[in-house]
Amino acid sequence: MNKCILEMPSYTYAQKAAKLLRSRDISAEVRRRSTGCGYTLHIRADCRKAAGILDKYGIPYILGESVAPR
Amino acid sequence: MMINFDNAATTFPKPESVKRAVDEAMEKYGGNAGRGGHALAAATSAAVYSARETAAGFFGAEPENTVFAMNCTHALNMAIQGVMSEGGHMIISGLEHNSAARPAAKLAAEGRITLSIAQVYPDDDATVESFRSLIRSDTKAIVCTLASNVTGQITPYRRIGELCREHGICFIADGAQACGLLDIKLPDGINILCTAGHKGLYGITGTGLLVTDGKFPIMPIMQGGTGTDSMSLRQPQLTPESLESGTVGVIGIMSMKAGIEFVKSKGTKRIFAHEKRICRRFISELSSDRRITVYRDPAARYVPIVSFNIGEMDSGEAASRLAEKGYCLRAGYQCSALAHTQLGTASGTVRFSPSVFSREEDAIKLALTIKKL
Repeated sequence: MNKCILEMPSYTYAQKAAKLLRSRDISAEVRRRSTGCGYTLHIRADCRKAAGILDKYGIPYILGESVAPR
Repeated sequence: MMINFDNAATTFPKPESVKRAVDEAMEKYGGNAGRGGHALAAATSAAVYSARETAAGFFGAEPENTVFAMNCTHALNMAIQGVMSEGGHMIISGLEHNSAARPAAKLAAEGRITLSIAQVYPDDDATVESFRSLIRSDTKAIVCTLASNVTGQITPYRRIGELCREHGICFIADGAQACGLLDIKLPDGINILCTAGHKGLYGITGTGLLVTDGKFPIMPIMQGGTGTDSMSLRQPQLTPESLESGTVGVIGIMSMKAGIEFVKSKGTKRIFAHEKRICRRFISELSSDRRITVYRDPAARYVPIVSFNIGEMDSGEAASRLAEKGYCLRAGYQCSALAHTQLGTASGTVRFSPSVFSREEDAIKLALTIKKL
């Protein structure tokens, strides 16, 4: 997976995750969910690697829609 | 002429950088943080997160464990009621401000908790023993101010934190008079630090912080919109949003961020040394007047606060007469029933509290004025 969306439990965790991933050269963008409330993290990188980093730092997320590379 | 020596209530004036931050927030951060995805909301959310990071870093915490509050009283209410929501025994110090003592007393009066009060002595060993002797198998939390808002006495908070850790007790610290003057960090043994944003952190009024290490759950005392999980009627569990229902005070938060950065740039040690020098000179000037009682003990340590009385003169009358001459000092009980009971000050005290902007020459002039009353 080179592109995926993580559903984040809050804006605070979304920002913390984005900053953490960016510090490791992983592109991550915080966006408002397209439906309902809440925030998502749009990742353009190896999603398994990104998820592994968030797991290591205890940042909660739900792996949402994954997008096949174009 | 107006000279403010009531900075323990709220610091004034504020740094220029804080004024600029307020202006900038008014100009740029008009959205609702953590709500909405449009550019204005996004900019505001990012700004608030940056303030959260600044506050968290300053106190050795994580951003998600850093909660914005209205003031220190609000933070203490969240901590005390939130940690004790399922009952148990709590110990508070005999120096607590009413912001901690009243919520604790209310829970006890309603039969929801049992409450003990630990006396604080000039000797740290005696104080720690005072807390230790009250610990029971059902003790859930100790609440202790880091420094008294009446006398400025610094409590042995690191040792109290150690005591709490040994017994698996939550240590809730009131940092209102210490933060910005002492280098306070959660790893000092504090589980939940509550503080004002408008005192030693130099933010505007209406700001406060609750900073937790996350080891003890804090049940929210208020429920409402958090910008997350909105279709659920249950309050979210995760901090900070679980404790920040409703729109946060963006302008105040940005002022507090600038205030913390100001304190960091000056350094807490430098600020403390400056204010301590002023207090020392003030006390020295007063010492020649035998009528004056200064409530300090050589065995204790103090933040830069000086409580005093002039003979039998009512503290309120003394402060009023000083106010007529342009000096702002706080008189009475300073919202601290327990501390005044311990001090035995029936008509309260007059409290002198400088800030980083105070001048030694003004303290000397004030002392001369006091001696003429």
